[in-house]
Amino acid sequence: MRKAYLGIDIGSISTKGVIIDEDQALLAHDYLGTEGNPIGAVKRLLASIDEQLDHARYKVVAVGTTGSARKLIGAMNGAAMVKNEITAHAIGTVSLYPDVKTILEIGGQDSKIILIDNGVVVDYAMNTLCASGTGAFLSSQAHRLGVKVDRFGEIALRSKSPTRIAARCTVFAESDLIHKAQIGHSQEDIIAGLCRSVVSNYLNNVGKGKAIRPPLVFQGGVSKNVGVVRAFEEATGYPVTVDANSHLIGALGTAILAKKSKSETPFSFQITDINFTTKGMECQQCSNHCEVICIYRDNELVDAWGNRCERGAVRP
Amino acid sequence: MQKYKVSFPHIANYWVPMKILFSEGLDVEYVVPPPITKRTLDLGSRYSPDYVCAPFKYCLGNYIETMEAGANTLVQAGGVCRLGYYGELHEQILRDLGYEVRFVNMARARFSKPLIIYNHFREINPHMSVKRIARILPVVLKMVECMDEIEDYMRKNIGFEVQNGSLAAVYEEFLTDISQVRTKRELRRAYNRCKKRLRRVPLNVPQHPLRVGIVGEYYTIMEPFSNHYIERELARMGVIIDRWMNITNSLRPSRKRDIRNRIKPYAKYHMGATSMYTIGKALEFAKRKYDGIIHVKSFGCTPEMDAMPALQNISSDHKIPILYFSFDTQTSDTGIQTRLEAFYDMMIMRNEAK
Amino acid sequence: MIIGIPRAFLYHRYSTLWKTFFEELGIEYVISPATTREIMSQGMACAIDEACLSSKVYIGHVEWLIDRCDKILVPRISYYGPHGTVCTKFQAIYDVVRNTFRSRSAEFLDYNIDTQTPEGEPKAFLKLGKSLGRRTSSSMRAYLVARQALKADELMEQRLQEKQLDEPGIKVLVVSHRYNIYDKFIGEPILQDLRRMGVVPVLADAVNRQEAVNAAAEISGTLPWAFNKELVGAMALWKERVDGIMLVSTFPCGPDSLVNEIVVRRIDDIPILNLVIDGQEGSAGLETRLESFIDVIKFKRDDYSAEV
Repeated sequence: MRKAYLGIDIGSISTKGVIIDEDQALLAHDYLGTEGNPIGAVKRLLASIDEQLDHARYKVVAVGTTGSARKLIGAMNGAAMVKNEITAHAIGTVSLYPDVKTILEIGGQDSKIILIDNGVVVDYAMNTLCASGTGAFLSSQAHRLGVKVDRFGEIALRSKSPTRIAARCTVFAESDLIHKAQIGHSQEDIIAGLCRSVVSNYLNNVGKGKAIRPPLVFQGGVSKNVGVVRAFEEATGYPVTVDANSHLIGALGTAILAKKSKSETPFSFQITDINFTTKGMECQQCSNHCEVICIYRDNELVDAWGNRCERGAVRP
Repeated sequence: MQKYKVSFPHIANYWVPMKILFSEGLDVEYVVPPPITKRTLDLGSRYSPDYVCAPFKYCLGNYIETMEAGANTLVQAGGVCRLGYYGELHEQILRDLGYEVRFVNMARARFSKPLIIYNHFREINPHMSVKRIARILPVVLKMVECMDEIEDYMRKNIGFEVQNGSLAAVYEEFLTDISQVRTKRELRRAYNRCKKRLRRVPLNVPQHPLRVGIVGEYYTIMEPFSNHYIERELARMGVIIDRWMNITNSLRPSRKRDIRNRIKPYAKYHMGATSMYTIGKALEFAKRKYDGIIHVKSFGCTPEMDAMPALQNISSDHKIPILYFSFDTQTSDTGIQTRLEAFYDMMIMRNEAK
Repeated sequence: MIIGIPRAFLYHRYSTLWKTFFEELGIEYVISPATTREIMSQGMACAIDEACLSSKVYIGHVEWLIDRCDKILVPRISYYGPHGTVCTKFQAIYDVVRNTFRSRSAEFLDYNIDTQTPEGEPKAFLKLGKSLGRRTSSSMRAYLVARQALKADELMEQRLQEKQLDEPGIKVLVVSHRYNIYDKFIGEPILQDLRRMGVVPVLADAVNRQEAVNAAAEISGTLPWAFNKELVGAMALWKERVDGIMLVSTFPCGPDSLVNEIVVRRIDDIPILNLVIDGQEGSAGLETRLESFIDVIKFKRDDYSAEV
């Protein structure tokens, strides 16, 4: 029986999972929508990769989680490793591209840049402003234009002179977009303009003061958009690599970290049968009104967090 | 005659000496401002202009809370940046909201001109006695110094306590102790007792703990709510935290020239407000081979923003990572948590690579 | 030796002073062109993201001048004596520029006026002349000629302004820092729009400075910043002679964020429009807001004659 490691990356929009063996080879993977229900999404994910895994040969001995719901899902699965998505992405990417120097990432809600030197993270930054220029922003603009967001890339590539769009803020972008459409800019030019403004926003905010050196790897949901990939190549002057499995890299990273943690507890896929519930409650101890989240397994409290001070502590 | 009930916006733990200064020195009742919470920020942002810096909003919200707690006289201190104009607008907004309150704006006071300070104190209480204030002021200043020194010790050790919360418990006791203190002798006794107790708290310090220096804007760096308790989060990760900025250090003008000389390669001139300290301390942390620096400010803080190009150069010259935080009125901790954790991981990985 | 002068920030206040000073000393200079889209985006790319739009424009102009001259003039002025202080941006700009462009081989020329140099401007210009290898006597002469020229310019401007205040028709007092309202990208489109609508824009910054600073206290007593005092003073002096006030600021200007709020709260007998320009807004939104503001004024005057 060989050891295997499970990595789950659970973001606001999508949930990703991989199982790797001791040589970091992919044994199973899947990708599905979170749909506002992280516990449900993870159960569906586990059911799917459970089927893919050869249980006769492999046994999952450690679990890692990352993404915005990493803590919740970590508590649910008894994870050996609960890791923030910046580190997880860096580890995952370096395992696939050992020479990488710059990781560009634009996800559903946020964007980040990670600088790597000799396989080590030496600097990083995350967006400070709102969600403008991220996946959510592109989706909402696509909706406005009546185009499916996954067609954005091919349409953008057709443009000869991209329109200039003010995209610092979603509100401004929308009014500018409508204005530009009204005065007669073509759809492909507007979409190409949007892709460009996503990139220039990224470079002016997240990438400010960071030395962007090749090789560049671009990931996150928006990396599937060839229009944005092209805009990045034009703006930086370097070729940009997008991995076919780029959406799985965070999950891969956290699976590797789970392996490195050397803490092993047998993991059972039967977890999908157990009833997990969360309950949010507002602590009334002071006017902070901290949002305390309690996790229950079959009505038994297993973990709680969210309190800023001891007065709001809830313990299993 | 109505009794004066005075208050000054909350910042960190400095309400303890403030209370003594006002009640003992100026013979007025001091209303302890409620601690800064989400409600403070909600109230403050609701009535503040949109893109004013966050400390303005915190102070405004806190004024409203202190009036609810019974204050009828509010004091604003002023400062060298936008702070210098806070008072007049705070007062105007409160008046427009219908609050009838005395507002003592010390914006024009220069600490170098004792007479003006005296006149402002007179404004707080016309019947004050010079003798009283002269007796208590040195005690209060010394008290601030003691607090700052102990808090500095705490920041450097709190990440390593064997029993969570044991250092904080000692410090809480110290704050209760000094609230009764009226003379330097009593203060010294309380201080020594606290030091002794702190030294007895069992610590478990690893061989090479990570060291992180924190620099940045006056208010946001000192008021923990406004920086999302980043020092506590760092402590949880087991890190030595070094922060120079506090009331004591910022009041010592003698240090200014020193710092100015050392940072000449990055700043020929004084760039305003706390920017010199930010650059100076960042450079010092870099030279002392700290593992990382965290820069903290409120969104739009001009002097701290202007220090950033210099910080970026220090970061690349000394190969030290700097994490930049710009806090506005968002209250979600998750994004901040993620950034801090990633920063920690990065420091660990950089160390391992060495 | 060619000196580069960025057409931004204090250029709009001191261009005559600087140009005359260099001309009198026989020193060649080049001025960056009126702000273009390219200059603006260079500024945005080089400056800290959070910085105010005006300072980004400045950085863009400095960038334009690199490789086009030998030394770029970046003065530092932090103190106007009894008139007050300035936003710390002006205290810091020399070092911000130096740090931002450290990796580019550019040289910067500065002069410094702050509380430490009570001799003020004349002394600063003598030092400037000296650093350019000029004798004190010729620098002194050049400075005095330059000051005279600036004074003449300012008087002309004020006279012109007085004339505009006496014009019939709708007049709007445009309250905006000189470096914003005279900028091709920030202020000029607004002035053009106003003129197109048949409105006479009166510039608050073209006021007699001394009178304005004295009058500012009528509206706000503890204002620390000289530039804002001048603007607030202009409102105190002229608000009875105009039909509306337009506050034009760049995002996120520190002093304006507070001062505009005071103004809006204390001046209530005349329509006020508060415009914040962030360099990204589509022109459509701006036009609509200007038009509806002018409509309010017209409605108040019951006068639609200026309609073009």
